[in-house]
Amino acid sequence: MNRLLALLFHQGVLDEQFLQLQQLQDESSPNFVSEVVNIYFQESEKLLRNLRSLLMDREFSDYKKMGVHLNQFIGSSSSIGAKRVRNVCVAFRVASEQNNRLGCLRALELLEHEYCYLKNKLHELFQIEQQRLLAAAVRYPVQQH
Amino acid sequence: MASMSGVGATCKSEATVLTDHFPVGLRVLVVDDDVVCLRIIEQMLRRCKYSVTTCTRATVALNLLRERRETFDIVLSDVHMPDMDGFKLLELVGLEMDLPVIMMSGDGRTNLVMRGVQHGACDYLIKPIRDEELKNIWQHVVRKRYNSNKEHECSGSLDDNDRYKRGSDDVECASSVVEGADGVIKPQKKKREAKEDDTEVENDDPGTTKKPRVVWSVELHQQFVSAVNQLGIDKAVPKRILELMNVPGLTRENVASHLQKFRLYLKRLSGVVQQQGGIPSTFCGPMEQNSELVSLGRFDIQALAASGQIPPETLTALHAELLGRSTSNLVLPAVEQQNLLQASLQQAKCMPVDQLVAYGQPLLKCPPSISNSKHPSQSILSAADVHSGFGSQRAKNICMVPSSNPTGIAAPNSNMFMAMMQHQQQWQKQQQLELRHRQSGPLESNYSINVQPSCVVLPSQSPGNFQVGDSPASMSRANSLSKSSVVDYGVLSPQSNNSSGVIQVLDRELRPECGSNRLSSGGSLSCSCSINADNSVGLQFHNSSSAFGSSKQLPGLNPNHLGSPVPYNINSSQVLDQGHIRNPVVGKGASIPSRFAVDECESAMCNLNTAKSYLEDAKVKQEPNMNLMENC
Repeated sequence: MNRLLALLFHQGVLDEQFLQLQQLQDESSPNFVSEVVNIYFQESEKLLRNLRSLLMDREFSDYKKMGVHLNQFIGSSSSIGAKRVRNVCVAFRVASEQNNRLGCLRALELLEHEYCYLKNKLHELFQIEQQRLLAAAVRYPVQQH
Repeated sequence: MASMSGVGATCKSEATVLTDHFPVGLRVLVVDDDVVCLRIIEQMLRRCKYSVTTCTRATVALNLLRERRETFDIVLSDVHMPDMDGFKLLELVGLEMDLPVIMMSGDGRTNLVMRGVQHGACDYLIKPIRDEELKNIWQHVVRKRYNSNKEHECSGSLDDNDRYKRGSDDVECASSVVEGADGVIKPQKKKREAKEDDTEVENDDPGTTKKPRVVWSVELHQQFVSAVNQLGIDKAVPKRILELMNVPGLTRENVASHLQKFRLYLKRLSGVVQQQGGIPSTFCGPMEQNSELVSLGRFDIQALAASGQIPPETLTALHAELLGRSTSNLVLPAVEQQNLLQASLQQAKCMPVDQLVAYGQPLLKCPPSISNSKHPSQSILSAADVHSGFGSQRAKNICMVPSSNPTGIAAPNSNMFMAMMQHQQQWQKQQQLELRHRQSGPLESNYSINVQPSCVVLPSQSPGNFQVGDSPASMSRANSLSKSSVVDYGVLSPQSNNSSGVIQVLDRELRPECGSNRLSSGGSLSCSCSINADNSVGLQFHNSSSAFGSSKQLPGLNPNHLGSPVPYNINSSQVLDQGHIRNPVVGKGASIPSRFAVDECESAMCNLNTAKSYLEDAKVKQEPNMNLMENC
């Protein structure tokens, strides 16, 4: 798990904000990280859908609304430490401010790609963690005997 | 809600009293539509041992605050929220309950942060927010209390008018809001409701239960502001305000407390403005004009403050100058910043188009020469108060009165102000006034003519006076135009304007209208150029030039607008933001037949905007302009 984390950090997928997230997890909220990340996934998917539908409107794309969505995306991504997603969002926002439709489309694709990658990796991470917890749960009783 | 309030109540004593473990239990309200951030911040705050209330909607947060202001120490608010802009929330909170508010956003661009500062945010955090930042927020609570105590004392000594101020220190509850979730409160009912609330809900708050609370709802506040207006900000005393407001259940103490807050608020805003504009402190003296502005409503407060800064000296100086030159045929109405401000103040409801179009009084009818020769001194201030229009009255807000008016309209300053005030207070009144004006003078405006309060009529030659490099050329053009087509050029009075005022206007995010408002439409005839003294001079000149250009070059956008660099010191970023907003105005001007040169003073702002947006806006809005013009 640490190896995976290190890899993600190395790739710039995550940054230290994610560590902060982990530090926030304590007894009072034992599943804090996965809870937050799941909320993030839900919200992000909503945002991605909205962005896509805004861009798909050929006649008139509402760049301002797009900017609002992107600002939110930037805020939430940076809050969980999803660095690469955030960076793509920033580029996306620049494109939308320039009313650069082509740039927006490209950024959207990239964003979706980055998001999927992040999601897969985080899922992987959580699975590993789960397994460790399970393993620990199995081991402890044994030790007690 | 119940659980929230419970949390707030339990922690209250710890937080309000600075105990050994002071920051523990600090009651924080977090507002963010982004649930991810919200959850994280909540967790972080809990880690700091603060008691946290979260909320995803600004309107809900506002209601919560109004309902139980006493149960929060500080507010953290996102900037971008779908139901209400974070800055608006900030403004309302700042005005109504004087709580420290921290803004947060993923967007840390300077203009946004600046806007936050100007709206009174005590801090601006950029996402991702780190727990170290949150740990420290308690300092804002302490600072706020410390400062407010100090401010109370200072203001008390400064304002002798307001004897009640000190007494009201402990009446803070008067301005705190007790309100049902519905958010709509009839002023008349307030007192009773407040009492009930106090007994039922506010048991945990013994300090405030004794006195009835007053909810300063939007309507009530507007009543208050218009009363202050009527009296003049300097002369407003709680008793008179109370009489004017005529709201049963409202006590003098309530009003006194609110007035105090209101003044503090104005002062704070003006402080910000001054700093930005680099305006000398001498300009601070609030004038009657301010009060007019006040009427705009709470949204306008900043602008008001800015307007307050117009020094009387400048006006007198203008007078002198004008008198010297009065012989010239052309009259240049100088529109002070106030106009701009007022315009900017106007709320979004106002259609930009309406505001933009200035209906000049009949150009043809006013021989410029007459005005000058007859009443040179008086003409200086032609009071046209576009303003009244705030939101509701649309078309006229911004209209500049062509200089030609001066004969009829020009009045001594004091009169002018009075007139203006009245105008603002009621649109209808304004119209009446206008009618009078018309009657008195040869002017006939088909449409409502708004005379701007601070219009200065300058002889056409005056351009020389303004030493701005660009301006002369533009001015000359204007002159020629005016002669031929009876176009008056409104020149904003350079001296009077505080660049800061302009800035503020710009800042306000709410108002796209601002731009429109600001437009000094050269009514049909007049091109108004806003010349701001101080920093903004460069700007205004640009404007003027652009305006002229537009008048000349009917077709298309003015190249000047787009291309011209903006010299002024105002934050470019802010300007940029609003730039699009104003564009429409410019576009209109361009589209308008040459006779009617409608220009915004602010058009300079437009320069910043990208050409694209500009074009689009112009397209969109052109039609309305045309209509207006036709009406004229």
